[in-house]
Amino acid sequence: MALVRARNADAFEALYDGYHRLVYGVALRILGDVPAAEDITQGVFLKLWSSPDLYRSGNFPAWLARVTRNRALDVLRSKAFRSESELPDTVPENDSLEDVAFAHLDAAKVRGALALLPHEQRDPIEQGFFGGVTHEEIARRSGIPLGTIKTRIRSGLRKLRDALDGAVTV
Amino acid sequence: MNLDGTHDAMLDDVAVYALGAMAPDDARRVREHIATCAECRAEYDALRPAAGALAYSAEACETGENGPHVSALLKPRIMREVRKTVAPDRRNVARPAIVWPAYLVAAACIAIALISTISNIAVNGQLKTAQAELDASKLAVTESARTLDADRTTIADLTSADAKRYPVPNGTVVARGGKIYLAMHDMPSPPKGKVYQAWTLPKGSKTMAPSVTFVPDPHGVAVLALPQDARATAVVAISVEPDGGSKAPTTKPVAVAALN
Repeated sequence: MALVRARNADAFEALYDGYHRLVYGVALRILGDVPAAEDITQGVFLKLWSSPDLYRSGNFPAWLARVTRNRALDVLRSKAFRSESELPDTVPENDSLEDVAFAHLDAAKVRGALALLPHEQRDPIEQGFFGGVTHEEIARRSGIPLGTIKTRIRSGLRKLRDALDGAVTV
Repeated sequence: MNLDGTHDAMLDDVAVYALGAMAPDDARRVREHIATCAECRAEYDALRPAAGALAYSAEACETGENGPHVSALLKPRIMREVRKTVAPDRRNVARPAIVWPAYLVAAACIAIALISTISNIAVNGQLKTAQAELDASKLAVTESARTLDADRTTIADLTSADAKRYPVPNGTVVARGGKIYLAMHDMPSPPKGKVYQAWTLPKGSKTMAPSVTFVPDPHGVAVLALPQDARATAVVAISVEPDGGSKAPTTKPVAVAALN
C-alpha cells in the first residue's frame, strides 16, 4: 500500500491481481448481478487508488472485504423499497473497535468450515452477511423467534471460528 | 445497555453485530456497549474474525470452473482509468521499493566512458586506454542487466496470481515456488545501531535460522528476497537486531508468518 500511496500504478495492478476475486465475489454474492458487481469492484479499486489513505492499518483483505460489503449494501439500500431500519448497518470501515482477522484464509478453507455448520446456523449467518437483511428480517421471513435466530448466529460463528482455528492477526 | 434484558442475550446481540446483520439503531447501541463492557468486547473479538472470514467464501475464481469468475475485461477497464491519472513522467518508471540504481549508474557510466574515450583518442590517441574503459563500461552494463533481470523477476513473483501472500504487520511475506520475499511498508526506522533481521524456521526444525538483515528506506519501504527455499521453510519472522545481525533472535519478533 505504501507504493500505491506513492502513485505507483504497477503496485496498484499487483494489488488488483491479488484481491479482485475477493472484492468481485463479495459484491456478486450480495447483489446477485454481474454488471452491478463489476461496477462495485471498479468503484472500490478506483476509490482505493484515488484515496489510499482510507486504509489506515490492520488486515488489508479484511478491510477491503468490509468496504466492498458496505458498498454493496449501499447499492441495495438505494434500490430497495425498504426502510432504513430493515437493512443492516454498515460496519464502520475504520472502527474504533480494533479489527482482527484470521491470518491465512482461502475460499476453500472457509467454504469447508461453513459446510460443517448445521443448516439452521449456516443459513441465518449467510443471510445476515450476504443477504442484506437484518436478523429481525431473517426471523420474520423464517417464522423463527428472534431470540432463536440470534442464538443460532452466535453458536454458528463460534463453531466457524473453531473450525478455522487459525492464528489471528490485527 | 441490554436489548433483551439479560447479559447473556446481550452476548447474542454482540454476535449479530459482529456479523453485520443488525439494524443501524441497534448496532449503535451494541457498539457503545462493547466499548464499556469487557465481556462483550471479548465476545466481539472472538467472533469478529469468523464473521469477517465469511467474505472469503464468496471469492470468485479465475476460470469459472468452480464458481463465478471475474471478466477479463474488468482489469483493463480499471487500469485504463488508473493510468490516466498517473503523470506521464511517472509512467513505467521504477518506484521507490524496487529501483534499479545500478542500471541508471551504468547509463551514466557509459556516457562518461564514451566522452572520456573520445577525448582520450582525440587528444592522446591512446586507443588501448579507451578500449579498457569501454570494456569496463560493458562489464558495468552486463552487471546492470543482471540486476535489472533480478528486479524484473522480483516484480513478476510479487505480482503473480499464484504467489502465496501472508500478511504481517507493516507488510506481506510472499512465497512463490521456492522463493521468499518480504514486501514491507511504513516500517519505523530501527533504533541507532540496530537493523531488522529476517529469520526462517526450516521445516522439522525448532531453531530459527538467521537470514538477511535490512533497513527500510526513508519511506519505511523494504522489498527483498530471502535466500532460503520457501518449500523447506515453515515460518518467516522479522526482529530488530544489532547492526551486523545476530545468530539467534535477541528481541521479540515484530512480524511472524507461518507458510503453508
